[in-house]
Amino acid sequence: MHRAGEASQDDARLGEALRKADADPELARWWNEEKELDRIIASKLASTQVPAGLKARITSAAEARPSVVRPTWNRAILLAAASIVALAVLFSSWRGPFAPALSVADYRDEMVGFIKVAPNLELESSDLDRLQKFLAKAEAPANFTVPKRLQQYEPVGCRVLRFRGQDVSLVCFKLGGDRLAHLFVTKATAIRGDGSASAPVFAAEEDWMTATWTEGDQTYLLTVKGDRENLEKFLGTS
Amino acid sequence: MAEVDPEELVGTYYAPLYRFGLSLSRNEADAGDLVQQTFYTWATKGHQLRDTSKVKTWLFTTLYRDFLAKKRHADRFVDTDESEFVEPVHVAPSAVDALDASIVQKALHALDDRYRAPVTLFYMQQHSYREIAEILNVPIGTVMSRISRGKAELRNQLSDVAAAEGRKIVPMEGGQAHG
Repeated sequence: MHRAGEASQDDARLGEALRKADADPELARWWNEEKELDRIIASKLASTQVPAGLKARITSAAEARPSVVRPTWNRAILLAAASIVALAVLFSSWRGPFAPALSVADYRDEMVGFIKVAPNLELESSDLDRLQKFLAKAEAPANFTVPKRLQQYEPVGCRVLRFRGQDVSLVCFKLGGDRLAHLFVTKATAIRGDGSASAPVFAAEEDWMTATWTEGDQTYLLTVKGDRENLEKFLGTS
Repeated sequence: MAEVDPEELVGTYYAPLYRFGLSLSRNEADAGDLVQQTFYTWATKGHQLRDTSKVKTWLFTTLYRDFLAKKRHADRFVDTDESEFVEPVHVAPSAVDALDASIVQKALHALDDRYRAPVTLFYMQQHSYREIAEILNVPIGTVMSRISRGKAELRNQLSDVAAAEGRKIVPMEGGQAHG
């Protein structure tokens, strides 16, 4: 195989092969056809459309939290720093050399950050049983209990996220209009601190209100936009 | 270390990374996630890269490793080439040129995992064999072998598709019907 401009340990043999091809019309025709076929396939694959919003999703993530950087930094550093902070909360599916159990604040921060970018769902369905089967097949938490009052609302879909190497199941529920509730479930061992409380612990994350609690060996995080009173409606605690 | 402009980095590489991610995952949503994840990793760990001329390889390597990390144990790649070499059939370039790009992409997606990644990188025409070997973390000889086998399989599939498409051609008045 030959690729233009690439040095290889086979260069001598390649050179000889190319000289033979030059001297043999049939071989030359075959060789040119090979190159033409590669060129066409490469061109077809290069025309694969990239989702229109992808670049915007990446760059908007970098601008999500500009206030965390010092205003005296130059633009490139500012963007890089904003990316570090914003992407840390926006993208969930990363694994790093970190301790396996992190604080509930870290968890809450990353999960809320994730839903701000309107994540893609891996399965869209209003059938909770189907969603749980999908999550089980993906080896993510699937045997969880949806808060009683939230059960009255129709699911929209689900996906699997990762939080510091742990699988997190996300199920979204339609609350009316374009409002959604997001229920995250992960192993309780992934979280340390007040995430282990059996009663919901409430915390605001900008426009979002969150409640975190643990049942059995799983930690739940429910988020909706609005205040605590609004969230409590779905937990059945008010 | 020369400074890397984050905006330029995204602008230059998000599309080829997406195409690579799509080829690996065969799923648009997953491909988008892989690209986002790659730039996230760059934002957090990119400063560790001392040689900025390696940024391209670093990004593709990172995306590939993340893809592998997400794959379940059951379908991990194996490092041995167990399948027998498939003799490539002749495919006329014009027959492939007549195919829709989505059909070519579908044929690529049908390749076995171990061939799909190197063949995709090969056809991107942005990477040397050495870089592909680095990205996939396999010896360069293995890369060349897998590309050769993958291309052969791809051509066989394209030949089948092209033949099927040929049979669909409605002859012009007075023309000859195909197959």
